[in-house]
Amino acid sequence: MPREIAFYGMLMPGLLPVFVGCLLLMVLLDLLLGHLGAYRRVWHPALLRLALFVCLFGIAGLSLIR
Amino acid sequence: MSAVPALDAAAPRKPWLADFLAGERRAWLFVLKSVLAIYLGGWLAMWLQLEQPATTMITVSIVMHPHSGMVLAKSFYRALGTLAGSLVGLGMMALFPQQRELFLLSLSLWVALCAGGAMLYRNFMAYGFVLAGYTAAIVALPAVSNPLNVFDSAVMRVSEVLLGIAVSALVSELVLPERLRPMLRRNARAHFGEFVAFVRGSTAGSIPREAMEDAQLASVRAAVQLEDLRASVIFEDPEIRLRSRRMRLLNQRYMAAATSFHSLHHLINRMQRGGSDAVVQALIALYRPLGVALTPAPGQPDDGLDSLAPQLLACAQALPARAAALRAGLADAAAATEFDTGAALLARFVDELHAFVATEVALRAGAAVHGSVERVHFSRGNDLAGAGLAVLRTFLTMAALSAFWLASGWAFGSSAMLLATIFSGLMGASPNPIGAVTRTLYGYAAGMIGAAVVVFGLLPGSDGFVMLVAATLPLLLIGPYLSTRDTLPGVGAGYTLGFVYILALKNPMVYDPEHFFNDAIAQLAGLALSGAAFMLLPGLAGWQRRLRQLRRLVWLAATAPLEGLSWRFESLGRDLLLQAVTHTRPGSAESRTLLAWSLAVQESGRAVIELRQDLAAGELPPAARATCGAAVQAVAQLYRWPGTARREAADRAVDAAIAVAPPAVRNHLYQLRSALRDDESPLAAAVRAAAPRENAHAP
Repeated sequence: MPREIAFYGMLMPGLLPVFVGCLLLMVLLDLLLGHLGAYRRVWHPALLRLALFVCLFGIAGLSLIR
Repeated sequence: MSAVPALDAAAPRKPWLADFLAGERRAWLFVLKSVLAIYLGGWLAMWLQLEQPATTMITVSIVMHPHSGMVLAKSFYRALGTLAGSLVGLGMMALFPQQRELFLLSLSLWVALCAGGAMLYRNFMAYGFVLAGYTAAIVALPAVSNPLNVFDSAVMRVSEVLLGIAVSALVSELVLPERLRPMLRRNARAHFGEFVAFVRGSTAGSIPREAMEDAQLASVRAAVQLEDLRASVIFEDPEIRLRSRRMRLLNQRYMAAATSFHSLHHLINRMQRGGSDAVVQALIALYRPLGVALTPAPGQPDDGLDSLAPQLLACAQALPARAAALRAGLADAAAATEFDTGAALLARFVDELHAFVATEVALRAGAAVHGSVERVHFSRGNDLAGAGLAVLRTFLTMAALSAFWLASGWAFGSSAMLLATIFSGLMGASPNPIGAVTRTLYGYAAGMIGAAVVVFGLLPGSDGFVMLVAATLPLLLIGPYLSTRDTLPGVGAGYTLGFVYILALKNPMVYDPEHFFNDAIAQLAGLALSGAAFMLLPGLAGWQRRLRQLRRLVWLAATAPLEGLSWRFESLGRDLLLQAVTHTRPGSAESRTLLAWSLAVQESGRAVIELRQDLAAGELPPAARATCGAAVQAVAQLYRWPGTARREAADRAVDAAIAVAPPAVRNHLYQLRSALRDDESPLAAAVRAAAPRENAHAP
C-alpha cells in the first residue's frame, strides 16, 4: 500500500483512509457490544473502547503497510 | 470543657466538612485533568513538530469540562465545526488572495453567520458553530500577509485543533472519569419520585396556585434537563445510545401526565371558586384512590416500583364504575356535566400516569417498552429574531475591527479579530452577556499578568519539558480551579485562556517583550470590543416577546398538522418557558407571569389538541365538525391577540360547539370554556389590560 496518496493534487498519509475505516468499524462494534451488554461487565469501559480501537487500527495498519 | 469535644466525637461526622472535602476533591480532580490534558497536548504537538503548540493548548483549555460525556459531545461537534471552518477559511483565501477588503468582509460575514447559528442551537451544537467561525479565522488570519502559505498553515492549524480535541477527550474519558450516566439516572429517579410524591400528596384536595406554579417550574426544568443530559450521555455510553428512544418516550409521557395533572387541578380550583362544592367533593372522592394506588407496597426492592403499575391499572379500570356511582349522587344536570368534564380529565391523567410508570419500570429493568412509539423528537423553541440580532452584532464588531485594522495598518489586528470572533460566538447565548464578557475580561487580564511573570521571570532559566511544566504549573493551576467555583463564572475560563494564549509556547521558545505586550493589548482590545458590541446592541428585551411566542403555541396547537403534534407542543412549551425563565429573575413578577401563562397555555393547548384528535377520529356530521373547528380557531385567535371582543367571540363559539357536539367531544369543550371564564388566569388579566386600548381605538 502507498505511503501517501494523492487526492486532487494534495498528498495525504496513506493511513488516513485506514483510520477512518477503523472508526466506522469501531462504531459498529460499539453498537454490537452495547447491545450485548458487554460494557456492564468491564471495569473501565472507556479504556476498553480505546484499547479495542488501538488493536483494530494497529492490526489494519501493520498488515496493510507491509 | 471536656463536654464539648465529647459531644463532637459523639456526632457521626461533621457534615459541612464532608461536603467541603467532597467539593474540593471534585474541583481538584478537574484541575488535575485539565492541567494534564493541556501539557500532554502541548508535549504531543511539540513532539509531532507542529508549528504552534499553543493552538493545541488553547483548544484544550476551551474544551475541558468536569463531565466526560460533555467533553465527548463537545469534541464531536467541535471536530465537525473545525473541519467546516478550515474549509471555508481556505476557500476565502483562494477567492480573495489580493483583495483584503473583500476578504475581511467575507470573513466577518462568515463569523457572524456562525454566531447566529450558535444562537439557534442548544448545548454543544452551538459550540460547533462557534468553532466553525473560530477555525476559519485562525486558518485565514495568520496567512493574510503570505497567501501562498495558506494551505500549509491550514493543515497545521487543523492538526493542532484536532489534536487538542482528541487529547482532551481521551484524558477526561480515561483518567478517573466523572460520568454523566449515574447523574442522569439519579436525576431521572429523583424527578420520578418527586412527581409521584407530589401527585400522591395532592389527592387530599386542591392545591394553591403558587404551589402549582412552583411544581410547574420544577417539572419543566426536569423535562428539559433530562433531554439535555440524554443528548450528551449518548456520546459517553453506547448502552444509553441504544435506549435513547425509550428515554425520549419516557420524557414524552412524563410531560403529558404533568400537563393533564395541572389541567385537572386548575379545573378543580375553578369549580371550588365557582361555588360548586358538591362537584368538587365528588371529584376529590373519585380522585382519592389514586393516592392509595401510588403508595408502593412496603418492604419491596427498588422503592416498590414494580407494584405501582398494576395498582394504577386497577385504579384506572375501577374508575368508570366509581364515577357512575358518584355521578348518581349529584343533584342537577349542570353539576353532572361539570362532574363529567372533571372525570374525563381524571381518566386521561390516570391513563397517562400508568403509561409513564410502566415506561419507567421497563427502562429500569432494561425490558422492551410496549405501546406505540410515536416518532419522538424534542422540539426546541427557536428565537429567529435573537439569532438575526446576533448575526448583525457580530458582523458589525468584525467589520469595525477590520476597518480599523485596514485604516491604521495595526500589526496586531489579527489577534484582536480572533478574540472578538471567539467571544461574540461564545457569549451570545448567555443570559447576561455584558457581565459574562466583563468577568472574562478581568480573568483574561489576570491570566496575561500571570503569563508575563512566567515568560520573563521563570522560563528563561529553565531547560527541557519538565522545567517548562515546573515553571508554568503554579500560575496555570489558578485558572481551572477558579472555573470550578460557581460564584465567579467566566473568570477561571478567561484566566486559563489568557494565560495559555499569551504564553504562546513554541519550540524553540521566543522571548520578545515588545511582541508580547503589543499582542496582549490587541487581544484585550478585541475582547473589550466584543463586550462593547453587546452594550450597543443588547439582546432583545426578552420576556414579553417570549410571552408572545408562548401564547402563539395555542395557535400552533389549533392549526398545525396533528401527527406528532402533542409531543411537539409539550416539548416546545417547556423549552420556551425555560429559556424565558432563565432570562428573568427567579421569583420576580415577570417570572410568575410567565409561569402562570405557561400553565394556561398548556391547559388550553392540550385541550385543543385532544379536541382535534377526537374530531379527526369520530364520525361527526359536517355541520357539527365545522362549528367545533370554528370554536378551536376562535380560542387560538384569543390566545394570539387577547382582547375583549375576541374573548366574547371565543366564548360564543365554544358555547355553539357545546350545543351540537357529541358527549365525548363536549368534555373538552367544557374544559376550554371553563379555562376561558377563569377570572384568575393571566388570560383574563390580559383581556382586561387590552380593554382600555381597544376602547380608545374604537371609532
